[in-house]
Amino acid sequence: MDMSNIKNYIDDRPADGVFRVHKDVYSDPQLFELEMKYIFERTWSFIGHESQIPKPHDWVATHIGRVPVLVSRDANGKLGAFLNACRHKGARLTRTESGNRKFHVCPYHGWAYGSDGRSADVKDKKDGCYTPAFDKDSHDLVPLARVASYKGLLFGSLSPDVPELTDFLGELRFFIDLAMEQGEHGMEFVPGRIEYAYDANWKLQLDNGTDAYHLTSTHTSFLDVMAKRAMGEGNQEARQFDWQKRFSQQGGDFQFANGHTVIWLNQAEVIKRPIYPGIEAIRKRVGAERADWMLKMRNMSVFPNMQIADSTSLLLRTFRPLSVDRTEMRYWCMAPVGEPPAQRAWRLRQFEDFFNVSGLATPDDTVTYETCQAGFAANQLDWLQGHCRGLAAIEQGPNDIAKSLGFNPVASLKGGFAVQSESAFQPVYREWARLMQAGISGEKAYV
Amino acid sequence: MSEQHELLDSGRDVLSLEAASLDEQRWDDWLDLFRADCEYWVPTWITEEQLAENHESQLSQIYYSSRAGLEDRIARIRTGKSPASVPLRRTTHMVSNIVLLSATPGASMTLRSSWTCHVFDPNSKKVYVLFGHSTHGLRFADGNWRIASKKIVIQNDYLPTMVDIYCI
Repeated sequence: MDMSNIKNYIDDRPADGVFRVHKDVYSDPQLFELEMKYIFERTWSFIGHESQIPKPHDWVATHIGRVPVLVSRDANGKLGAFLNACRHKGARLTRTESGNRKFHVCPYHGWAYGSDGRSADVKDKKDGCYTPAFDKDSHDLVPLARVASYKGLLFGSLSPDVPELTDFLGELRFFIDLAMEQGEHGMEFVPGRIEYAYDANWKLQLDNGTDAYHLTSTHTSFLDVMAKRAMGEGNQEARQFDWQKRFSQQGGDFQFANGHTVIWLNQAEVIKRPIYPGIEAIRKRVGAERADWMLKMRNMSVFPNMQIADSTSLLLRTFRPLSVDRTEMRYWCMAPVGEPPAQRAWRLRQFEDFFNVSGLATPDDTVTYETCQAGFAANQLDWLQGHCRGLAAIEQGPNDIAKSLGFNPVASLKGGFAVQSESAFQPVYREWARLMQAGISGEKAYV
Repeated sequence: MSEQHELLDSGRDVLSLEAASLDEQRWDDWLDLFRADCEYWVPTWITEEQLAENHESQLSQIYYSSRAGLEDRIARIRTGKSPASVPLRRTTHMVSNIVLLSATPGASMTLRSSWTCHVFDPNSKKVYVLFGHSTHGLRFADGNWRIASKKIVIQNDYLPTMVDIYCI
């Protein structure tokens, strides 16, 4: 297929009511290489949360796409992010994922860097017979082109040609705030690291995070257990929701610029939210309307590879592409700083029940991504039909809900649960196509 | 035979029966080995070198304060509707190095064991191994030793696509 024209992969014709994604988008290794260059290396990526590095000299190691990144606070607490690779021979500087260090010393030849990324020592330099040319080179760690934080979320970009972070997040910030302002003193990652990998494309997780349609098929075993619990049987510790009640709720989605997207659903049992015991204080702090929206189900994707889901308790996940058919998943349980112990335990039980790779729901998702990837081996398959539901119900611009709440999406959709819309995928694949086409055509990612 | 050895033999029997009932997918037999008020805990690692210590303030892989949590998992498997559980993966547990940590003869004992679990997925044809160690708290009642608590540490926690109670 002609890779120079990305329209061969995304068939986007609103006037004809057509929005289709080609299966090669998920399975072509050459496209994958272009994604690394033209998406992951040319836009903002989530690189951590402030609660991971609260003190001076705290650091955390992460990746942007396949690029190893070191996020570090210097002696004054200033945030920095660098390529996690020694200038000498390229060795990754860190052997663990996090810690506190004034100096990062390369395990190979002992070159040292301060927590601000500056070169602190080139071992035995004096006797090293270096030429003057060597001194002309900077020996500092290579800084990321851009680093910024929003409400505790840290982002970095390998390219300088990106919008300001607040503009990149844009109107999605309304929904980010609903997650990150639940705690009066901010939010934190609860200790406990969970990491796994699946054999399928990273965008299958990107899709599934805002896919309302699969719940009643992929998760029927989960729903059966939940129906039992709703009768008072089984494990009541997680205070799980009566999921059957979700099917009669109103919900919808909002499309945002720069590839971001949100689905939402009214919540029948707000009292099962761990924040509910403190909801009066939250109402006073953020206003009644926003507090009510914190109780609704909201799943969002921050393009390209971070999601915040608040469908049971609050999750933040990243899904890092390793190859076209292998992806590494990390997720964190996010909670208000200073949350009372009873609510913290309640949150954890809800989270583990649904979201864990050892839980009752997520394994059914992830195994299904692998099933999709197996199906993509059918080369005769061309346009997928999985991005079409709900298209007839899209309203351009803000609907009455968005207007009343005061944010400005590109498009809105509202309806009963039964719509189970796939229109939330539109901004994602439009942005995917835009960035890929810009890269292929030799243009800047953002103008 | 010393009292200690008799206890250790009884404990070893429970652990062997547990592994066998999981590997043979005799779920009711497996559940029967647990007391209704059992605690079942699979902690996460906090860092590469530090294990979680508190299930009330730190994330767990699995935490149940009663057998109801285990019963729900079996109910989910038995629906036959979980894509991650159809076809069921075949497992072989090896449980070894069983040490009696403490005991009150005829009443309770605590055992430490090492385990590996080989998992084969007949769907994807993939094989993986999880391994670690467990601490069992056993109590004697009504003529039987039953599991009152089980803590499972997974040493290789870079996890595959799914982990269920029969994979650990």
